[in-house]
Amino acid sequence: MKKAAVTLVLCGALAIVFSAAGFAETLQIGALYPISGSLALLGEESLRGAEIARLERNKAGGIAGREIVFEKADGSTVAAARSEAERLIEQKKVPIIIGSYSSSRCMAASEVAARKEIPYFELGAIANAITGRGYKTMWRTNPTAQDFSKSQVAFITDWLASQMGKQPSEMKVSIAHEDSDYGTSVAESFSTLAKESGIQVVSVEPYSANATDLSSVIFRLRKAEPDIVIAVSYAQDAILMARQAYELKLKAPLMGTGGGHSLQSFADALGAQADGVLNVDFTQYAVNTSFTPGLEEFLALYKATFQENPRSGHSLANYMGASVVFDILGKTGGSMNPEDLRKAAMSLDIPAGTTATGWGVKFDANGQNVRAVPLVTQWRDGKLVTVWPQDAAVMDPILKE
Amino acid sequence: MDLYIQVLVSGLLLGGVYALISVGLNLIFGVVRIINFAHGEMVMIAMYLTFWLHHFSKLDPYVSAIVIMPVMFIFGIVFQRIVVQPILATSATMKIFATVGVSLLLQNLALIAWKGDFRTVQTSYSMSSLEVFDIIVSIPRLVAFSAALLSIIVLYYFLKYTYVGKALRAIVEDHAVARLMGVNVEKHYILAFGMGTMFTALGGVLLMPFSSVYPTVGVTFTLLAFVVVVLGGLGSMSGTFFAGLFIGVVESIGGTFVSPALKEAIYFAIFVLVLLVRPQGLFGKGKGSEEVGLK
Amino acid sequence: MKPNLRYWLGAPAFLILLLIPWFFQSTFVLHMHTLIFFYIALTAVWNIPAFGGKLSLGHAAFFGIGAYTATILYVKYGITPWLGLLAALVVSMLGGLVMTLPLIRLRGPFFTLASIAFAEVLRMIAIDWRSLTNGSVGINIPFKPAWINMTFQGGKPFYYMSLILAVGIVWLTYRLKNSALGFHLRAAASDEEAAQALGINTSRAHFIALMWSSGLTGAIGVFYVFYIYVLEPHTIFSLDLFSLQPALNGIIGGMGTISGPVIGAILMTPLGEFLRFYLGTIQQGLNYVVYGLVLIATVKFIPGGIVSLLTPIIKRTPGRKKIPLSGQVEAR
Repeated sequence: MKKAAVTLVLCGALAIVFSAAGFAETLQIGALYPISGSLALLGEESLRGAEIARLERNKAGGIAGREIVFEKADGSTVAAARSEAERLIEQKKVPIIIGSYSSSRCMAASEVAARKEIPYFELGAIANAITGRGYKTMWRTNPTAQDFSKSQVAFITDWLASQMGKQPSEMKVSIAHEDSDYGTSVAESFSTLAKESGIQVVSVEPYSANATDLSSVIFRLRKAEPDIVIAVSYAQDAILMARQAYELKLKAPLMGTGGGHSLQSFADALGAQADGVLNVDFTQYAVNTSFTPGLEEFLALYKATFQENPRSGHSLANYMGASVVFDILGKTGGSMNPEDLRKAAMSLDIPAGTTATGWGVKFDANGQNVRAVPLVTQWRDGKLVTVWPQDAAVMDPILKE
Repeated sequence: MDLYIQVLVSGLLLGGVYALISVGLNLIFGVVRIINFAHGEMVMIAMYLTFWLHHFSKLDPYVSAIVIMPVMFIFGIVFQRIVVQPILATSATMKIFATVGVSLLLQNLALIAWKGDFRTVQTSYSMSSLEVFDIIVSIPRLVAFSAALLSIIVLYYFLKYTYVGKALRAIVEDHAVARLMGVNVEKHYILAFGMGTMFTALGGVLLMPFSSVYPTVGVTFTLLAFVVVVLGGLGSMSGTFFAGLFIGVVESIGGTFVSPALKEAIYFAIFVLVLLVRPQGLFGKGKGSEEVGLK
Repeated sequence: MKPNLRYWLGAPAFLILLLIPWFFQSTFVLHMHTLIFFYIALTAVWNIPAFGGKLSLGHAAFFGIGAYTATILYVKYGITPWLGLLAALVVSMLGGLVMTLPLIRLRGPFFTLASIAFAEVLRMIAIDWRSLTNGSVGINIPFKPAWINMTFQGGKPFYYMSLILAVGIVWLTYRLKNSALGFHLRAAASDEEAAQALGINTSRAHFIALMWSSGLTGAIGVFYVFYIYVLEPHTIFSLDLFSLQPALNGIIGGMGTISGPVIGAILMTPLGEFLRFYLGTIQQGLNYVVYGLVLIATVKFIPGGIVSLLTPIIKRTPGRKKIPLSGQVEAR
């Protein structure tokens, strides 16, 4: 029995040695995400996405014959993110960093990287300011808060207004947002864009994401009598608000903005009442796959690796982003020289509808990917399906009374 | 007009939940005089237990209280024996930090064991409500409110008429004198901790039908419970109940008519104010000033 | 003053610290040291009211007030952070005044609880008062390296600044402790009534201590924010980072002593960081589990703080015969 065990262990060890033997060299990349603390859930989900991209790329031969290795770091708080960036660069000598799900953590960590001219790729945080600071070594593959608002405004003017039998200028919108940087920046972007397109914003209600009761928010929304409520929430507050909106008979439909409204736990908690809730977010899994080539392979690999379904689209967005980073590194032949990287990144020109998220890639002078577009989804029978725009949709949106 | 009544009702229901979470803390803080920063984590553990019992054995959250309360009673005793008892002789401040340690420990053990997922229990009554003259009353909240009222009545009579209750009140009053009178103070500390944890757990169980649980859910409850207990007066169960209702109503009114983002700020400000003007608490009777430091 | 162990140990240690940046190229090494120096300074000023037995968990409020004052002056009005530093000192002292005047008479846990409430209220105000603070999004400080902007490309200037800050503040607390004020505070800590009976105005002593403490905390906040370059309310008013952590360092090291905060910060800051480096990525949350266990164990086994373990050694050293100050007596 003992012998058998030893043999097994030896075989295992050998297998590891052989599988690693394919690569002569490794290529280290810093992966900085909040994987403990209050953002642990989606921080880890994001890291998983990048991890899948890494596994896939290594299986396909790595980058210029080198195996990609992640040097992981836990940016559980903003201060921790700053320390971790310093450690990754100085101790672990990583030549580039990817991350970081949370906007405030990204701001702190990327600032350290920029001073040392270490390229920083943001794959998931959405605050507008991240790519507006004039850093030459900062890129972002995912859409910004402003892009989220653009999608929402476009959806309201293109589809929702006519469904309600109104002109866009007659549409009254309320915003209820959690009051951290995420909620605040989306709410501000939306207010500005809505004004430009003539939509009326009748009330803005900030609240704290760990509130135990949101009835006061609902009362204020009832008083404002909007046609639709734009909600920007994390996980538990999204559930709480939707439950209390139903209980307290808020008439206006809810439209989430990523975060909590995309989580399966939202649908589980609300049961039938989740049906019809709209949401704008990174690309989700029920989407027209001809628009998102590679998505099914990602899902299969994810399930094989983590033995469960993805908990949100954050992993997919990070998978897509990490793959783009690897493409750039492939173009430079593994060179980490910031100048080479910049050239390679700027020369990327991937049309929309050809990546796993459906996003194209074209960086502007600030390093922002201008072809990343959030999609509109809707909960239908416990599944989050993409409903808008048409080339990504698998169902038509409905307006639930 | 309807809105005002509705806001008031929602506030009262919310306050019932707050009272329920705080009543256990009053026993612990009042008797053992320890600022237990891990109080919210006790709520968190009870919520997780409710979730898992429902998840694996489809046990209704309200039924699961029968199992969870005794379990948490034992948890409280173990907590007191292992963590609190050995440091009773140290200063109040040292005790705070031991419980900060426990709070970190429990939060992160929960993260390791159950991941960061947000978990809810979906029951048939999760979103059900009554409507009385256009005023909406959420049923699970009403249940929590009633349970708070009931717990407090039970505790009130327990403290008033049983030997253990009288001993506990004596310790709240003055533990040195209680000891002189022949009360086994250490034994009663253990009991107070066990009972306090048990009622806190009941709060956690009754929250589950309408809230989500995740590893850091307890953080908000800890400070809140201290506010309620101090407002209500140490050792006064009815005080805790009314203070809970008061905070609930303040939060509801402040949130609706001032700003939802500032509702916590409003009740914290009231807390500081009350501490200064009526140190024995809004509803506490007798002295309290000396304890707090105001004379 | 007779030379004693402190000088024999202190002087060479200080010299070594002065030289470190010339031997280590890695800014990570400098970063860790800088962090430790910040926390030494922060813990030492937190410790001033603790001489008198007042345990505040609201210092994040002053830290935040200071940081916001200097940053707003710099970003909105172009006033150099060095002047901002003075403004921060004054404004956070005013903040201290607002907190101290009503709360000063509260005792023990009640003072502590009320101070937490105070800091939380300020955090919420900082989030809500968008026209001034830019809310949760925070204020973006433009990166313009220059002495006058308190902004530097490399890590050395902040290393030295924080080193001087730490040494200066520890020296200041030493002077404070051995002044009349220090004796009043310690008398109040051991028995408030007895001290009053002796004619000591304990409220006045507590008050002055809290003024020093709040003003200096605000000043440290300015250095910190120009070091980490992120200003947003959740971080800057963080209960964990700037109220609990200094208190924790102080208590682990030995509350109400001079060397306690230094020892506490030197041990706890790297502990937290290294646990995160080595355990945080193996299993999410594992680092905090260990950190929590360390806390519980410390309180249980060395309730007087680490200083209380060292006191017998110091006492035995020649030239250090006067007034042995143990941590335990004062840590009430």
